[in-house]
Amino acid sequence: MKKLLIAVAAATVTLSAAANDIVPAEPQQQPILLQNGTLHTVTNGVQEDTDLLFVDGKISAIGSDLAAPAGAQIIDISGKHVYPGVIALDTTIGLREIEAVRATEDAEEVGAVTPEVSGHVAYNPDSEVIPTIRYNGVSHAQIVPQGDLVMGRSSLLQLDGWTYEDAGERLNVGVHVNWPRVGINTAWWERRSPEEQRKANAEARKNLEKTLVQAKAYYDAKLAGELQGTDLRWEAMLGLFDGTSTLFVHANDQRQIEEAMDLTQEWGFDWVLMGARDAWRMADELAAAEVRVVFGAPFGLPSRHDEAFDQAFATPAALAEAGVNFALSYPGYWDVRNLPFAAGNAVAYGLDREAALAAITLKPAEFLGVADRLGSLEEGKQATLVISAGDLLDPIGQKVEALFIEGRNVDLNNRHLQLYNKYKQKP
Amino acid sequence: MISSNRLSKLAVAMCAALPALASASQTTTVQGLHDNSSSFVALQNATIITEPGRSIENATLVIRNGKIERINENNRAPEGARVVDLTGHTIYPGFIDAYSNYGVPAPKQEQRGPWFSTRPEYNNKREGGNAANDAIHAQERWVSASASDMKAAKDYIEQGFTAVQSARLDGIFQGQAVTLSLADKIANDVIYNAESRHFGSFDKGTSQQQYPNSLMGSIALIRQTLSDANWYEQAYGKDAYNGPVEYNAALAELGPIEQEGMVFAVTDDKSLLRAHAVLSEFDVPVTFVGSNYEYARLDAVKATQAKLILPLNFPAAPEVSGVNDDLDVDLADLRHWERAPGNAAALASADIDFSFTLHQLKKAGDFWPNLRKAVQHGLDKDRALAALTTVPAQIAGVSDKAGKLAPGYMADFVIAEGDLFTDGTIKSVWLQGAETELAPLRTANFAGTLEAELAGQAVSFEFTGSDRVSGSLKVGDDSHKLRSVRRDDGHLNFVVDATIDGAQGAWRVQLEQTAEHAYAGVAVGPQGQQLAFTANRAASAETEVTTDSADKADSTVDYVSRLTYPNVAYGLNGLPARQNLHIKNATVWTADEDGVLENTDILIRDGEFYRIGEDLRTPSGYEVIDATGMHVTPGIIDEHSHIAIDRGVNEGSEAITSEVRIGDVVNPDDIHIYRSLAGGTTMAQLLHGSANPIGGQAQVIKLRWGATADQMKFDAAPPSIKFALGENVKQSRYPSWLSSRYPQTRMGVETLMRDGFTAALEYRDRMQAYEKLSRSERAKTAAPRPDYRLETLLEILDRERFVHAHSYVQSEILMLLRLAEDFNFTLTTFTHILEGYKVASEMAKHGAGGSSFADWWAYKFEVYDAIPHNACLMSEKGVLTSINSDSNDLQRRLNTEAAKSVTYCGMDEHEALKMVTLNPAKQLKIDEYVGSIKPGKHADFVIWNNHPLSSYARVEQTWINARNFFNRERDEELRAELQTEKQALMQKVLADPNASKGESNGYKREQPAWHCDTEHDTWLGTFTAHSHGGH
Repeated sequence: MKKLLIAVAAATVTLSAAANDIVPAEPQQQPILLQNGTLHTVTNGVQEDTDLLFVDGKISAIGSDLAAPAGAQIIDISGKHVYPGVIALDTTIGLREIEAVRATEDAEEVGAVTPEVSGHVAYNPDSEVIPTIRYNGVSHAQIVPQGDLVMGRSSLLQLDGWTYEDAGERLNVGVHVNWPRVGINTAWWERRSPEEQRKANAEARKNLEKTLVQAKAYYDAKLAGELQGTDLRWEAMLGLFDGTSTLFVHANDQRQIEEAMDLTQEWGFDWVLMGARDAWRMADELAAAEVRVVFGAPFGLPSRHDEAFDQAFATPAALAEAGVNFALSYPGYWDVRNLPFAAGNAVAYGLDREAALAAITLKPAEFLGVADRLGSLEEGKQATLVISAGDLLDPIGQKVEALFIEGRNVDLNNRHLQLYNKYKQKP
Repeated sequence: MISSNRLSKLAVAMCAALPALASASQTTTVQGLHDNSSSFVALQNATIITEPGRSIENATLVIRNGKIERINENNRAPEGARVVDLTGHTIYPGFIDAYSNYGVPAPKQEQRGPWFSTRPEYNNKREGGNAANDAIHAQERWVSASASDMKAAKDYIEQGFTAVQSARLDGIFQGQAVTLSLADKIANDVIYNAESRHFGSFDKGTSQQQYPNSLMGSIALIRQTLSDANWYEQAYGKDAYNGPVEYNAALAELGPIEQEGMVFAVTDDKSLLRAHAVLSEFDVPVTFVGSNYEYARLDAVKATQAKLILPLNFPAAPEVSGVNDDLDVDLADLRHWERAPGNAAALASADIDFSFTLHQLKKAGDFWPNLRKAVQHGLDKDRALAALTTVPAQIAGVSDKAGKLAPGYMADFVIAEGDLFTDGTIKSVWLQGAETELAPLRTANFAGTLEAELAGQAVSFEFTGSDRVSGSLKVGDDSHKLRSVRRDDGHLNFVVDATIDGAQGAWRVQLEQTAEHAYAGVAVGPQGQQLAFTANRAASAETEVTTDSADKADSTVDYVSRLTYPNVAYGLNGLPARQNLHIKNATVWTADEDGVLENTDILIRDGEFYRIGEDLRTPSGYEVIDATGMHVTPGIIDEHSHIAIDRGVNEGSEAITSEVRIGDVVNPDDIHIYRSLAGGTTMAQLLHGSANPIGGQAQVIKLRWGATADQMKFDAAPPSIKFALGENVKQSRYPSWLSSRYPQTRMGVETLMRDGFTAALEYRDRMQAYEKLSRSERAKTAAPRPDYRLETLLEILDRERFVHAHSYVQSEILMLLRLAEDFNFTLTTFTHILEGYKVASEMAKHGAGGSSFADWWAYKFEVYDAIPHNACLMSEKGVLTSINSDSNDLQRRLNTEAAKSVTYCGMDEHEALKMVTLNPAKQLKIDEYVGSIKPGKHADFVIWNNHPLSSYARVEQTWINARNFFNRERDEELRAELQTEKQALMQKVLADPNASKGESNGYKREQPAWHCDTEHDTWLGTFTAHSHGGH
């Protein structure tokens, strides 16, 4: 169901409840001119009563009273809001269908060091979850393998594809590392003594360093033509050493973050900090070091008993205040659809609205190296945009009427709407 | 003065006591010669402390045949008695430990692996008339298995203990203890009280049986067992409806427990109050083995009027020396480190009687240092002595023979030098008149300058140290260092290289003390010549080495920590005051017929909403809140919460556990109470989990942070209970080889419930039939056994208890509707109910409500059809609908959860707000008190800075009954205060060289975030890891 077009045509279409009628949209056929909308451009502020024209999947003009090219479809969006498509970082969308049913899980490979696996490979474009995520304005997602230490490589996919190949926006963006534990766990179920915990932590840390040394040795040997054979693990990490790949470090505790900062500096990696629960404790340091931070707990509980009740809610504002270059994520799969609301919640606790929107659009695009084509409403960028009747970041405002990905008018129908519409008819 | 030297001496002393055995018993035949050694002893010139606060100077204690014959205040020793000169020594009554496992067999240790590693055991092996539950050992009378155990006695005797109350410390009802002397005699001679208290705890111990696997299950088991004991007293020997009443030794032994009483071990202040509550239902007198957390709830502990037995294992300070160590440290742990040693003093100041126990100390030798620490923290010495003597004597039922020094009492006492409560030393312990020497009464003291004449030459010795002596010999201006210095109790031996009497070489010297300042010695020269000499201590010599503890004895501790309610970060000083309020110029969301009112005032009087209108006049004495630009809503009510629950949310062991009560385990210390207040939530229904079809009884609370568990309960809420359907109850995540519990299908869930209700009705029939029996018929007919499980089911059928049923798919929803209709009651609320939209009209017709997640789905198969339009569809079909959290995260932001029905299906905003206020109040049947802003209702409300359903809304203030429990400004202050306090405490830790000594796990452990399906065995420590969103 193309919600917007139906609204325009005011037509009643009989729907089939079958999942397979949600067909990936075809390439943009004709120019589309959106008239008189409120454009949240991200890079050029909020522009009221403004037109946006896109042709062949690209934004060709933004301005007042744009002329419609021949054959253009004109859509009046007075009173409605246009945003860049939301980019969800750090998700397992398409890798999980039903969390408790193991057969539907493809997120975590066996072994602590699995850089060779790529998130997009197991991505199921027919997952029933995906259309429900799009429905809230999310156009892209970073698909991240899970794991204990070196988790694998993530890919950025657009959420309306036939296969992972045509959904691929950027494959194998970088390698993900789950930083080894630090500190002492005082939870009731922890039976190891503080000493044993410290030892285990140090061992895991050592294991990570060994892994990097191995990977670098392989890289060096390969450059020198000295390899005995191919090792898929180290092949997957080559890009870290030649600068073509990013290291995504999942770390939450201040001590983990400090260790990660030291280590990445030592190795000269291009890196992004993910999770970052304690980033507020070291915001100035992160800003000074120009670390890119993806804060992953916008709805988080305090991570320690004594922390303020709203510590996680207020962290984005604290990062902004200190000048940290940050994005927001809401890790998961089915619940990723709440990412826009998470950004809104950060506003309630002090974050500027523009910064909140950037944190789920432009910043993720920058961090994944696709800001040349995604993340804002700018001429020349992809026509990947969301039209909402109200404020996208607020549950009492959000009403997504259309989602265009590279100019393609994405079907907003989903399993939930289908069941809703079906059972509306039950006597 | 701890040395291996002393230990070996003790062992020798014990061997020496052995021959006495043959003469002690009246019934033992004598092998060989009769032992008629005299036991007539007079201990003269002593300071005798006959009981706490009563001391006689310079008196003689006369003992014979293991008992005290008399105390001669005139210090006369009777003719014929062996006289022991105790000049400079004090005699204390022997100490009694009222909580011990001395002399009884240890339980067999069975190791449990992680969850799912062993097959669950649902039934106990029945043997010897034991109880149906393997955690009940009430039939055990530990006297029959008790025996002296000199190895185990050593730890006690070295601390001055002479008697213990003892049982095997295993299980819930642990059996009847015996009070034993620690004397080295046959068991017959050491039993002071053969029928002492019953011991108990909440911990099922080595029991392998599934039930109970939670704290509330243990409490329910205690309740049922004590009820059974009462029933059994009347029923045994009669016929029950299905045959003769069984022989049950455990129940038989519990019959007289109202007289015998219990000693009950708890792990914190909250569990103490819980044990008190359940045991006092059955008039069981109880003494608690405490936790040293009692200071945190002193008034409530005092109100139980119970005595306590206190372990002296104080926590070590958390590690804070590393620059980032404090990241792992909670304020509450630092506070407890500071205050636990002061617990005894706090109890004493509240005039609560307590005794001390060695139990829980890893090293017995820590007992006295820790006891002295308690004294340094302000514990009165007489109280401390009472805690070792008279109080434990009462608890152990031996006040007539132990705990005091008086004629006729057992000759159990402690001889000490100095004040034991500051720095004294125990010299010997007398058990039934037999001495165990720990240190000689008198030890030579060599320290100082001793002047002597050796072969006509004036010399002097300089000695330092007491146990390990070093020193030098001065001859003229020459000083010679002493080497190979050895000492024993009486002598000092050393070698010195010097020229004495013209002979140069290695001189060997021995010294002994002959009087306080006089010494005699012999020196053996290089050619073997011997010189006898005498020496005198120079007047200026240092004779006493003052110890650290003596210096500190009179100091008391200045605490830098605050004591709050609860005693954790963000705790309050007390209940906030109730205020009369005038809220001005707010946007008021009434959640009632009046809808949303702009520019409106609210008057709040005596804890209730009084008037709502525009431009109201401020009555005098009313606090004014200017709410211009603000929104006011009723307090948010959560139909489904698992916060504030202690030690297990699921008694998931058996398929029906309607007897367990969440109300028994409310945890008022849970920080999530405060965090939820900060999200505008004022009330919650704390539900049992979903591991079984008929779970436990629920508890509705007001989030009165700082109150006790009882004060948080909302008594006006009618009783309710949790049912559960679907994947969790049929154990879908269990491996198939472990799935033995009925039911394993949704079909079986229906029949199990039907069977339960049928059984309940038949139970009532039997009760009623019994009531009609004649007196003579009753003489041979047993009354039906009161059954808490079935009684609870009857309350449901009588529509006195209301069902909240965890449910997802439409078939199971329909099933439960029809089952309820078959049994003629209305299913109150389906909770989760994610497929409610599929059977909404059926639910509406039945009259059932639905309480849903806003948008959760896909986390398990039975929620694959969940949709975020569920609440809209149910509402539209006339189902009373609410949104709940089932999550300590979502409970803080139910406002925006409700808003999602506006997002997805265009629900009216005011109606959406009702889904977290008035509607849940109706589902809990408390809407006459709460749920909307209406005159006469409780003043439970929230002030928001923005539209309350918006992402951009933040709570400014949360009020319950016109008391301000959350205030954003106050919260900011608390954050700063707690940082200051934490830093001060860390400074104190860093300044204390002994901070790391103590129990490393002495803190309240953080509990897991309970969810519906957290299956956990609190006692075995096993649990299933909760997967994301597994509800």
